[in-house]
Amino acid sequence: MKKVIISLIMMFGIISSTSLAGTLVINTDTSDAAPKEAFEYIIKKFEEENPDVTVKWNVFDHEGYKQSIRNFLNTDPPDVANWYAGNRMLPFVRAGLFEDVSDIWKDSGWVDGNLSENMEHAKKSMTIGGKQWGIPYTYYQWGVYYRKDLFTANGISVPTTWDDFVAACATLKAAGITPITIGSKYLWTTAGVFDYLNLRTNGYEFHMDLTLGKVPYTDPKVQAVFDKWDELVKPGYFLENHAALSWQEALTPMVNGEAAMYVMGNFAVAPLKEAGLRDSNLGFFQFPEITPGIPMAEEAPTDTVHIPSKAKNKTDAKRFLIFMSRADVQEEINKILGQLPINKNSSVKKGDPFLAAGLNMLNNAYAMAQFYDRDAPAQMASEGMKGFQEYMSNPDRRQKILERLEKVRQRVYK
Amino acid sequence: MFPTPIHQRPIINQYIYKVFLPISLIIWLIPIFGILMTSIRGLGDITAGNMWGTPSEFLLFSNLYDVFTNTPMIKYTLNSFKVTIPTMLGAVALSCMTGFALARYKFKTNLIIFFIFIAGNFVPFQILMIPVRDLTFKIGLYNTITGLVLFHVAFQTGFCTLFMRNFIKALPQELIEAARMDGASEFKIFWKIILPLTRPAIAALCVLIFTFIWNDYFWATVLIQGDHAMPITAGLKSLNGQWITAYHLLSTGSIVAAIPPVIMFFLMQKHFIAGLTLGATKG
Repeated sequence: MKKVIISLIMMFGIISSTSLAGTLVINTDTSDAAPKEAFEYIIKKFEEENPDVTVKWNVFDHEGYKQSIRNFLNTDPPDVANWYAGNRMLPFVRAGLFEDVSDIWKDSGWVDGNLSENMEHAKKSMTIGGKQWGIPYTYYQWGVYYRKDLFTANGISVPTTWDDFVAACATLKAAGITPITIGSKYLWTTAGVFDYLNLRTNGYEFHMDLTLGKVPYTDPKVQAVFDKWDELVKPGYFLENHAALSWQEALTPMVNGEAAMYVMGNFAVAPLKEAGLRDSNLGFFQFPEITPGIPMAEEAPTDTVHIPSKAKNKTDAKRFLIFMSRADVQEEINKILGQLPINKNSSVKKGDPFLAAGLNMLNNAYAMAQFYDRDAPAQMASEGMKGFQEYMSNPDRRQKILERLEKVRQRVYK
Repeated sequence: MFPTPIHQRPIINQYIYKVFLPISLIIWLIPIFGILMTSIRGLGDITAGNMWGTPSEFLLFSNLYDVFTNTPMIKYTLNSFKVTIPTMLGAVALSCMTGFALARYKFKTNLIIFFIFIAGNFVPFQILMIPVRDLTFKIGLYNTITGLVLFHVAFQTGFCTLFMRNFIKALPQELIEAARMDGASEFKIFWKIILPLTRPAIAALCVLIFTFIWNDYFWATVLIQGDHAMPITAGLKSLNGQWITAYHLLSTGSIVAAIPPVIMFFLMQKHFIAGLTLGATKG
């Protein structure tokens, strides 16, 4: 006990003595191995470049952070906190808990080059009410991962239009191959498909209006999305029994050549390669166009850093955000994470065709959606994804499901 | 004698027994065998759907290395000991005293108190989840090893008291009366006469409580949030990656987590079996 007290006193001593110099308190949810390593690296680098600043870094459990952040932004605000772009940051912006950082985006001369230009494609997802509220530092692409060898064997080329895509599914199905694998046991995989169908059928703005609760789920435009979905579900182009499998278990048919495509995030590549697929038989393509002329927005969940409006050391916090926006820093972070930098001047690890394809696709994207469960509020997202899964198992119940979701929408967005 | 030993049963029953014993044994052991097999695989095998076939690589040592280097597994193990041993000592010490009092003293509410102890065993702990969480939070013990230990002691004392009370009740009353005649104080009777005689029961209880608490997952996840106090059972989930469920590491970690209770069992096997039957037959 005595030892504990002594060490407590010493700890307080250290904290109070360092707080005299520039102490920068950073809270993150990077409890997983790679994100933790990435932050260890950049904090060390930041301290080396700014010897007058001492960083105090608190790592929270990934899941627990979602609760903790509500508390600490009010009661014990750090100087920098990480969070997510898009509608996920909306409640904090509305409550006045995040600092407006538009001046960093406008390039106040601190940054190498013009930030708004280097990150133009990600600006929309950081903007609420015409202002920017944080700096994005990493994201990853979603799209269609496919077996190149199965496509070649069946004479299919990479589809760029919806008709080609459906035709490719029909060919694969006729050849006895499941066209699209999916594991919907934990629901969220279905949201990836829904998001892309909506983004391609109705466009980014409509998708945002829907996830913000401005449009009813019974809207004809939502019906149109399900009409497209019907074209895949009704002929049985998705894996059977998908409701019994996790996303990971649904990789197995693809590894074994029983399924050809997977609408997924880039994190699927690592386990697929570990299971024996190579760049020669595993490929990636952008989700095909549905309504011609609609600008192509992509699904790219983005991680961001913010300054709480009650932060004590905003000067150093801004230095840290500018540091995080730099091309060379983003390059290093994302090398560790195996994800994509947002700054256009960063490059990615050479020799990874998936990262290269993702980088190219996202740099030219019209806008980024953050994924259904980040764009829509938690309650709506969980009911919505339940509905999508139910629909994929019983497409005939579509009308009832949409009416139910509409009721949920009216309750959630009151 | 009940049950009748198998070699005294009709011959046909003996054959049925001999056929079905190995079959049920195999069915019983399949999950454990599955965990052992998975712990030597790599993630590639699992993703490719090779769950029961020959592993394509032998990765037990690299999995073990990952388990101990990627996560604070050593810390989790230490935490488990820090939770289990004080709980074991606390619950057994308390129940020796309550058991003695309830077995040997006649007072009005004796039976009622005893029933309360027993009734505590029948409260499903899921019901207690929110009140206990709130209670520990208000006392300031939420997310601490002390909080978890105190709760476990409180909850296990009910069962332990039932066990000890029945055991002490079965001891001959004459021993105690003889001690009283010689002028021993009540505490001395407890300390010099009852405790030495209940040694087998104490040993059995210790083994039981050790395994109960070591295997606890539920309360560890309810009352503990951070790595600093997380026991190994709940800590295993940190072996998963950000996206991936690392079944191979989870299996290896589970085997590591299962080793201490298994060692405890083999060291104290006699007491363990005695413990399971003691409370049931006496009293």
